[in-house]
Amino acid sequence: MFPIKIPRITFWRSVLLIVLASGLYSTYLRFTAGLGASTALSDGFPWGLWIGFDVLCGVALAAGGFTISAVVYVFNIERFKPIIRPTILTAFSGYLLVIVALLFDLGRPYRIWHPLVMWNPRSVMFEVAWCVTLYTIVLALEFSPILFQRLRLEKPLRIIQSITIPLVMLGVILSTLHQSSLGSLYLIVPHKLHPLWYSPLLPLFFFVSAIGLGCAMTIIESFLSYRAFRKRLEIDLLSDLGKVIVVTLSVYLILRMQDAMGRGALKHAFEATYEGRMFLAEVLLGIIAPVVLLIIPRIRRSHFSLFVASLLVVLGFVMNRLNVSITGMEAALGGYFPSWTEVSVTSMIVALGFVLFSTAVKYLPVFPPEETEGENETADAQWLAPNVLRQPLFSSTTLALVLGGLFLGGSLLLGGNGLWYRKQMKSVVASKPALPPTGVADRYFKMPLDITLPTAVASPGVVTFRHSSHLDAKQANCTQCHVQRFRILKANVPTATTAGSRDLHSDQLCGACHDGKKSFSVKEDCQVCHSM
Amino acid sequence: MPVVKKGLLFDVTRCVGCGACYQACKERNHLPVTDSNFLKDHLSAQTYTVVQDRNQRFVRRLCMHCDVPTCASVCPVAALEKTPAGPVVYHEDRCIGCRYCMVACPFSIPRYEWTKVLPRVRKCDLCAERLANGQTTACAEVCPTGATLFGERDHLVQVARERIAASPKEYVPHIYGLEEVGGTSVLLLSDVPFDRLGLPGGLMKEPLPLLTWHVLQEIPSFVVAGSVLLGGIWWITARRDEVRQAQKKLDDQ
Repeated sequence: MFPIKIPRITFWRSVLLIVLASGLYSTYLRFTAGLGASTALSDGFPWGLWIGFDVLCGVALAAGGFTISAVVYVFNIERFKPIIRPTILTAFSGYLLVIVALLFDLGRPYRIWHPLVMWNPRSVMFEVAWCVTLYTIVLALEFSPILFQRLRLEKPLRIIQSITIPLVMLGVILSTLHQSSLGSLYLIVPHKLHPLWYSPLLPLFFFVSAIGLGCAMTIIESFLSYRAFRKRLEIDLLSDLGKVIVVTLSVYLILRMQDAMGRGALKHAFEATYEGRMFLAEVLLGIIAPVVLLIIPRIRRSHFSLFVASLLVVLGFVMNRLNVSITGMEAALGGYFPSWTEVSVTSMIVALGFVLFSTAVKYLPVFPPEETEGENETADAQWLAPNVLRQPLFSSTTLALVLGGLFLGGSLLLGGNGLWYRKQMKSVVASKPALPPTGVADRYFKMPLDITLPTAVASPGVVTFRHSSHLDAKQANCTQCHVQRFRILKANVPTATTAGSRDLHSDQLCGACHDGKKSFSVKEDCQVCHSM
Repeated sequence: MPVVKKGLLFDVTRCVGCGACYQACKERNHLPVTDSNFLKDHLSAQTYTVVQDRNQRFVRRLCMHCDVPTCASVCPVAALEKTPAGPVVYHEDRCIGCRYCMVACPFSIPRYEWTKVLPRVRKCDLCAERLANGQTTACAEVCPTGATLFGERDHLVQVARERIAASPKEYVPHIYGLEEVGGTSVLLLSDVPFDRLGLPGGLMKEPLPLLTWHVLQEIPSFVVAGSVLLGGIWWITARRDEVRQAQKKLDDQ
């Protein structure tokens, strides 16, 4: 007899359950009530959290995969081989989740395959669609050896391994194209995106920053998977990844500053505006702070401090993508703040990512078998915060973490100054002084033609409708009678009325105004209208 | 026979704000009533043109029908298309609903059916069907002052130039849409600066699709150059490895 094992209710399991439940409910809303009912998106702001976070950030998760594969297989630096599998897994799950997010965001998700058949090579989105498709296939192939190895399928394993090199090269090229093309998406909105973020170099910025994110994610995953499964990468390798982050982010920082200065946009950073603050926060917290931290060798030698610095990199990266897609567009497009349904779907997708990753780490040979712990472990122990993963629900640490996360998420990442913007826009429009009137009506107004109406059999006489006796050119309002009562286009005049009844006396037609109150009644003297 | 490009000329100085164009558009497109006061209405999935009251000046908003439309360029499935006769038309059976057209349009025109489960993009199509039958647009047909004028685009440009030349004091010396983002099929004349009418100002003269095309056209050469470069590096590093191993073997002997 096997004892039935009831999973312990831990903090993270409860969170997972709540996130999944609310996410599923929002999913139901999204697909039964439509985008309007389930999101804060509008004609003014058509792209929100799902594009800004799920897609733009999800794709970048793949950057670690192609960078490390290139380093190992193309540059033949074998030392990094243990990192390949976690990065490939990250990339693969990232892409799968992006596809899920797209199915939520697309108005017609069942047509997601259209770009593969209906081409428009001039569209960046077309390039994006192809890159997602092809690179997902490449990633599946790159990931398959892990699966084959676990299932002890020797033959397919050998086949895949024999094409590793071309596969890696294809992956590098596709990934480079895809990372940069997400930046290219915004090249076409020079008048809408705030100058702090709009740049002709956006494709390059997206590409370089994605590499930094890829490395940071590898460090974070290694840290978390050690806490959950006691599996992780050795500190030397992670420390080297830290160095790669320093170099990448430094290049990125220099490029961005030089570009902003060159375009004269840097001055906006120091204006006391919403955009200025968000830009400074992004650059200081998300680029400069981690670079400074990771330059220090002592910090690079500890799993925990590496983890913290990497977290800053990820935070800065997410801020950048949200700044480009949301903050930077708000001044031009009006406000946007994601609805709870959007947030819960996004949370569900992130949670699915965690589940996917941890399941794979648990059951597949993703991390190399644990080697003997070095002496770093003792130094590391000082850094070890209370083990969050195994905390019971409602402990002070978990509570503090949740509150901190909510605060950060709320204030920094989503930065919802939408309402404030809407107010501002309104006041700008209202403050303009009135213009002197023009004498348009006298000069140009041509009274529409008189219309002889069709007569019924019992009609006492023909009625000729005169526009001139019904409207004042100086205060013409055609919408009083058109189109609700009478058609306006020539092809439909004079017989067509909007109401089904052809009896013009009805209170839907002439009788609406000729009721004895607004004007004389249709029931009065027939001769006023009918010529006898 | 080549099709001549048609267009509209809207002259702010001639508009009395009567709403005939607004209603004609509703009638021809079978759109429901959206606001009891048409001057307060806004573009939506049920309203393809509006007349806005900008302090005693009435200005129409509608799709500008760009010569090189940004929306058509960004659409991944070519659901939007510039026809030779002028209209930018929408093929709803292709659309996947990514809404990039709405994000990219420099005039922020396309609207979406947010309330529907299977939504479409909605906007003015310059009465493409009527044009094909040799008719004018519905809005131009009913305009009582000639503020909305339909014609061949070249001719309309001529008319606009003549109006400015004939009464330079009455007009801002600028034809909006002549050069904006590469030119549009809808042109505007005004006696007050166009930004006071709520039209986007400071637009560049080049078509916006060039901005992305400059990058996209490099993709084929990037793929070739990238493959050669990566292949080359791999060849060198792999060869170096081979040599090292051979050397080691030799040393061992």
